[in-house]
Amino acid sequence: MTAALLTLADSRLPAGGHTHSGGVEQAIAAGVLADPGSLAVFLRRRLTTSGAVAAGLAAAACRAVDDADPVAALGALDAEADARTPSPALRAASRQQGRGLVRVGSRAWPHPAWAALPTQPHHPLALGIAAATGGLTPRDAAHAAAYLSISGPATAAQRLLAMDPITVAAVTARLAPEVDEVADASAGALPAATDPLLDLLAEVHAARADRFFAS
Amino acid sequence: MEVVARCDARGRTTLPIVRTSGQLAVRRTGAASVHLVATAFGPLGGDDVEIRLVVEAGARLSVHTVAASVVLPARGESPPSRQVVRAEVAGVLQLAPEPTVVTARADHRAELHAQLADGGELTATEQVLLGRVGEEPGRWTGTTRVERDGRPLVHTAIGLGPGAPAWLPPVAPRAYVSTVSIGDAWPEVATGVDAVRLPLPGGWVGTAWGDELHDAVTRLASVSPRPVDELAEVTR
Repeated sequence: MTAALLTLADSRLPAGGHTHSGGVEQAIAAGVLADPGSLAVFLRRRLTTSGAVAAGLAAAACRAVDDADPVAALGALDAEADARTPSPALRAASRQQGRGLVRVGSRAWPHPAWAALPTQPHHPLALGIAAATGGLTPRDAAHAAAYLSISGPATAAQRLLAMDPITVAAVTARLAPEVDEVADASAGALPAATDPLLDLLAEVHAARADRFFAS
Repeated sequence: MEVVARCDARGRTTLPIVRTSGQLAVRRTGAASVHLVATAFGPLGGDDVEIRLVVEAGARLSVHTVAASVVLPARGESPPSRQVVRAEVAGVLQLAPEPTVVTARADHRAELHAQLADGGELTATEQVLLGRVGEEPGRWTGTTRVERDGRPLVHTAIGLGPGAPAWLPPVAPRAYVSTVSIGDAWPEVATGVDAVRLPLPGGWVGTAWGDELHDAVTRLASVSPRPVDELAEVTR
């Protein structure tokens, strides 16, 4: 089933993730991200907070498919995602990407489980359902979520700072052990790790008129 | 440690249960307020304190501390210290302790689990400083979960200090303050220098940070919908 996991984590999957920078655009504006070293730091912040939260939720959503009442289970997870995402800008970004993934995932892996999701689900919930319907495990869902929490932002940094693509690929690849660690630690839990800096960057970014990325 | 606040037949708050245990003594300092007094140095590494607060419908309770808590490591390999507040709120609860100072090598875990019934209101403030003057920072993890009728309103966990995964230069502040307020709805977002206020269902959460505690406090005030003493007024 590895190919389904690769598909899910592939940036070419047209789920709309490429329009989001995961806070990178505002981090550059705020002067906390400027080069490969500070990119690695920023990605690590993201991975261990919102990445861990997303991994936990994605694994739980994947398991919810087998719940006696998947609609209730996914509704409860959506409320847990909201409680862990008090920033309206980050909530909107997550739900936008969730909707985008439902659109492509429900065509790629048709299954009644898609109908159990709320209308505009948080992205990790859609990711969990995509994993389940693609024949993957909750652990796979957690790994996809953790990886996606840094891969999209890394590409955004490369585009915005005109960074050397090979350097950016190397920064991302070197984080692989930490991605695995976060995914494994989060797959059986619902972490609530928060970075107030990411909340602040997201809200300042959302109020800007001159932004390239949606978030 | 346990405090129960109840509303009597005349609508006044009484405190029928005020129970002390371990390192914390409880002093009644008003009809509806208590101050916690540390009976020993610390918290020390390995300490585990649980505080249970019940505010029944119609009652009010404010909880303060008489001085800053200075978290110290135990000798040798110091295990974390832990302080858990479990609150059941059908009335109005204000938690406004003095700052927590986490000294070098200490690792403190602060948890607030609040369950609000319909009509229950909560204001909880937290002020953290890593390290005393000229000292290396300690480590602090603060978890907040507030539920209303079993539905989570907010659930966050913030890790600060060396070894915390997201406490990384250039943004690795020594001072951190936050206020969670439920029962005082402010749907707008407010942002400032190293400070942000976000809406919660029926309330808001404000967070600020900086190198010095007074900077963080000023920054939090700049995004708070009302002055901090007026906030206290809300629950008086």
